[in-house]
Amino acid sequence: MASTIIMPQLGETVAEGKILVWFKSVGDEIKEGDDLFEVETDKVTIEVQAIVAGRLSEIRVGPGATAKVGEVVAVVGDGATANASTRGDAPAAKSAPWRSPFEEVSTPTDRFGPAKGPNGIHMTPLARRLIVQHGLDLAMLAKEADRRGAKNIDGAAVRAAIETHLASPAAPPAAVEPPIRSELPVQESDVITLNTMRRKTGERLAESWRTIPHVFQAIEVDFTAIDLVRKTRKAAFQKAYGFSLTYLPFVARATCLAIVAFPQVNARFDGNALALSQDVNLGVAVDLDHNGVIVPVVRESGDFTVIGLAKAIRRQIDKARAGKLSPDDLSGATYSISNNGAFGTSFTTPIINAPQVGILSIDAIGLKPAVVSTPEGDFVAPRMIGIVGQSFDHRAFDGAYSAAFLSRLKQILETRDWAGEISSDL
Amino acid sequence: MAGLKAATAPRDELQNDDIGLDRRLELFRVQVEIRDCEKRAYDLFLQNMIKGTSHLSIGQEAVAAGFGVAMRKGDKSFCTYRGHAHTLARGASMEGMLGELMLRDIGLMRGKGGSMHLTSVEHDVFGSYAIVGAHLPIACGAAWRAQYLGEKDVSVCFFGDGTTNIGAFHEALNFAAIWRLPVVFVCENNLYMEYTPIGEVTAVKHPAADRAAAYGLERILIDGNDADVVYRTALAALEKARDGGGPSLIECLTYRHSGHSRADPAKYRPPGELEEWLKRDPIVVYRGRLRDFGVAPETIDAIEAQSKRKVEVATEACKASPPAPVELLTKDVYADGGWAWRN
Amino acid sequence: MAELTYRDAVARGIAQEMERDERVVFLGEDVAKAGGVFKTTVGLYERFGPLRVRDTPISEQAILGAAIGAAMTGLRPIAELMFADFLAVCFDYVANEMSKLRYMSNGQLSCPLVIRTGNGGGVRFGAQHSQSVENWTMMIPGVKVVAPSSPVDVIGLMAAAVRDPDPVILHEHKALYAIKGEVPDGEIVDTLGTAKILRAGRDCTIVALALMVPRALEAAEILQRDHGVDAEVIDVRSLVPLDTQTILGSVAKTGHLFTVEENPRLCGWGAEIASIVADEAFWDLDGPIVRITTPHIPLPAADHLEDLALPSSARIVDKVRRVMGG
Repeated sequence: MASTIIMPQLGETVAEGKILVWFKSVGDEIKEGDDLFEVETDKVTIEVQAIVAGRLSEIRVGPGATAKVGEVVAVVGDGATANASTRGDAPAAKSAPWRSPFEEVSTPTDRFGPAKGPNGIHMTPLARRLIVQHGLDLAMLAKEADRRGAKNIDGAAVRAAIETHLASPAAPPAAVEPPIRSELPVQESDVITLNTMRRKTGERLAESWRTIPHVFQAIEVDFTAIDLVRKTRKAAFQKAYGFSLTYLPFVARATCLAIVAFPQVNARFDGNALALSQDVNLGVAVDLDHNGVIVPVVRESGDFTVIGLAKAIRRQIDKARAGKLSPDDLSGATYSISNNGAFGTSFTTPIINAPQVGILSIDAIGLKPAVVSTPEGDFVAPRMIGIVGQSFDHRAFDGAYSAAFLSRLKQILETRDWAGEISSDL
Repeated sequence: MAGLKAATAPRDELQNDDIGLDRRLELFRVQVEIRDCEKRAYDLFLQNMIKGTSHLSIGQEAVAAGFGVAMRKGDKSFCTYRGHAHTLARGASMEGMLGELMLRDIGLMRGKGGSMHLTSVEHDVFGSYAIVGAHLPIACGAAWRAQYLGEKDVSVCFFGDGTTNIGAFHEALNFAAIWRLPVVFVCENNLYMEYTPIGEVTAVKHPAADRAAAYGLERILIDGNDADVVYRTALAALEKARDGGGPSLIECLTYRHSGHSRADPAKYRPPGELEEWLKRDPIVVYRGRLRDFGVAPETIDAIEAQSKRKVEVATEACKASPPAPVELLTKDVYADGGWAWRN
Repeated sequence: MAELTYRDAVARGIAQEMERDERVVFLGEDVAKAGGVFKTTVGLYERFGPLRVRDTPISEQAILGAAIGAAMTGLRPIAELMFADFLAVCFDYVANEMSKLRYMSNGQLSCPLVIRTGNGGGVRFGAQHSQSVENWTMMIPGVKVVAPSSPVDVIGLMAAAVRDPDPVILHEHKALYAIKGEVPDGEIVDTLGTAKILRAGRDCTIVALALMVPRALEAAEILQRDHGVDAEVIDVRSLVPLDTQTILGSVAKTGHLFTVEENPRLCGWGAEIASIVADEAFWDLDGPIVRITTPHIPLPAADHLEDLALPSSARIVDKVRRVMGG
């Protein structure tokens, strides 16, 4: 009885995959869960495991070959075996793909630019290919390599640059500034060509901005209580998990809780109807040192505690930096958070990622004078203050709803027993 | 023990004809057809319709014919690059042979092998071999197979005097002798190793016959231009092999009328030598033999005329045949018909 | 499952095929009564008898020639060449005969035979008995060439070679005859033209053959442990047909290729693979292709000198580490 192994579904928009390498050979015994082969799509490279056990009797799509999703790539179980006959020859080997005798080796026809960068730095063939395929800025890479003192630009350097340029469809970038109109002739100095990623992202942003009536609302939030919890738990958290606890997981947690009462902000709008999402899949935008934004998705965020969210977000960031995000990691967001606080800005009006209907922004959180009411009277005291804003799609709901959501969010952030929630985990 | 015999059949043979008229006519026909075909090859070469090289057997037809008629279906021939005669003698068609020389699609191997590698498994010709001596051990292997499987066919291996000095000759003779293989080694001593008289390069006078003893074999030296002598010797050797008596080494004295190959005008021959041998031209000899046995001149003429007609028909068929299709370039490197060395 | 030495695997592989098909016969020097000078064919003579397992004189041309003649007319012979160096003695039969007869005869003739031969060095036999000559046979169109690195592969590739209708040269390695390996029970048949990834890795691809395989694996462990380089090790196993897809797929993943070859430098088997990768996989390469080979010298008999000459795991580690910057 034979089972077929098919090219699995690799992501929503992925139609085919290229098998890079087979870990098993014909004749090998396979157990469920064994790594079978490695497949590359235009987004990710992943290992595919066996879901059946048995003897691998046939490989139909070999290394280097491409198969459509759903296509049979191998057979497990009793197929034709090599030792069926006692007197016959070996079974006819599958004939090799036809090649012209004058093309015994298939020389690639692609060209990926010159072997040296603008400053004369050498680039490996892999680097050259990746630069062109991902539309990266060669001049910038060359400068960067120079700065590092590297003797060439290799695949690792380019892959690092790709990760920081990777933008999912749900990425909320900084606000677009209207183009400056000037009558005076502008002296051209450095021309920075946008790479493909940036161009594509730009197009999406423009489309969102053009079609969605954005309204921005902001509310001031007192983060002092959260800050206290952070400070007291800092060392223990660092020791337990190997990274530091930031404000972001608290905001993410509060957002999930607030959405329970205001489900319309966690919905998809197709122009006619608002489809409330069952789960909260938070797209958490993280700025990466001026080199772009990455927005991994934490699925079912609503099920996590603060610590859980901290870990989940961190995991996604690590995966992003290692180039290991799967298609699932980059899609399916229902609401987004844009974290812009690194440089001390007061507020940011982010652009919504259709078909979501809202996006939260948090900026710098710092000590500010604030009025604190006590039984003894009102006093001015230094408190950790930050502005939390939301851009929302005014077609989906109106300002009162949004404001009520933000108010609820503020209340959760300021009054929830964060210490209690954390101490049960740490 | 066949020694050199006189050209005219002795009285006792005429009365007790062990060969028989049918076979004699066949022996004559085969020699004549070989001669006419080879002469046609000569002409076609001059007309540049045969390319490369060609090694003709003109003057050596009796050996090929004698063995060809003596061998049974299933007995296997292994030839040298001078193998046209032997291939025809086993029944391969003229157009197959000439076509191969002309490198046309009608050729025995569709032009893949050329003059030096004539092969027709259908007629039990298991290849013609261009590396001197290479096929002697191969013939041993074919004979080993017969011995192992208990099959009754005999492998016959044809080669020239020059072969007797190459290593493979000695390995094969020893090998065949110690395993008592059903193989017959036939040395056509045409007195020249390519352009050099064989005597100058061989330690013994008779390059094959004088070496038989080194392998525990009988010394057999015969007149290679008398088809009857060849035939009888062949029969005896074949029968001995078939009965498990082991191998034989037979040296046939003969002479080639042309050069070593088409490229060779054979100016190295001493004056008068060719003329002497022309008197003992195998076809002249055999024509006389047939007359001795009372065959009517008309019968003889008819055979010769028929041969010439066959050559004409074959030549026209070859000229009309296209060159092989280009797909053959990469065909049959491997058993699957292809040539793939990689996936 | 049993543990078997490489040399016992040779006998088992031949026996498996002789048992299966009475057309399989075996000839060579001292292979029958003596069980082979390397004791690789012990027991075959006793089991299959003097008609099927035959001792020959010292006549390499006759051995190969006879194998060809027998194969051409209906048997499935296995011929032993005691030392692979002796291919030079009878090379006509590889270069001009068995490899070309099918083609020249337009498919009329075939040579379904196996030559098995003791290849490689490391056993102090001196320059004329220690060469790695698999590359000599790789370069003749029309033959197939395999070189197993483990007992199970010996049996599997021997079986595949015997069953293959083309002439196959199976290079056993003399220095591997004593190694042991797990071998499953029952019939074992492998597939010619398939390489095996013995160790998956991400950083570089190391392609090795025969004796160089265990050395490459050892080097890979050291590279991982001491230098943080995660090497993928491929046992080529089959030079012709060549499993280019496995190699190309691996290089597409790692971007770096190293070959470990016992043959001397010039025209070693790795040169061809390097050329293919530099061509088809050019745009996957993140660094130069590096061949680690025996130097282009005859092999000395002295043990310390011979050990220096053949690529050691230390030399492999050193070269890979330097190129990978680990």
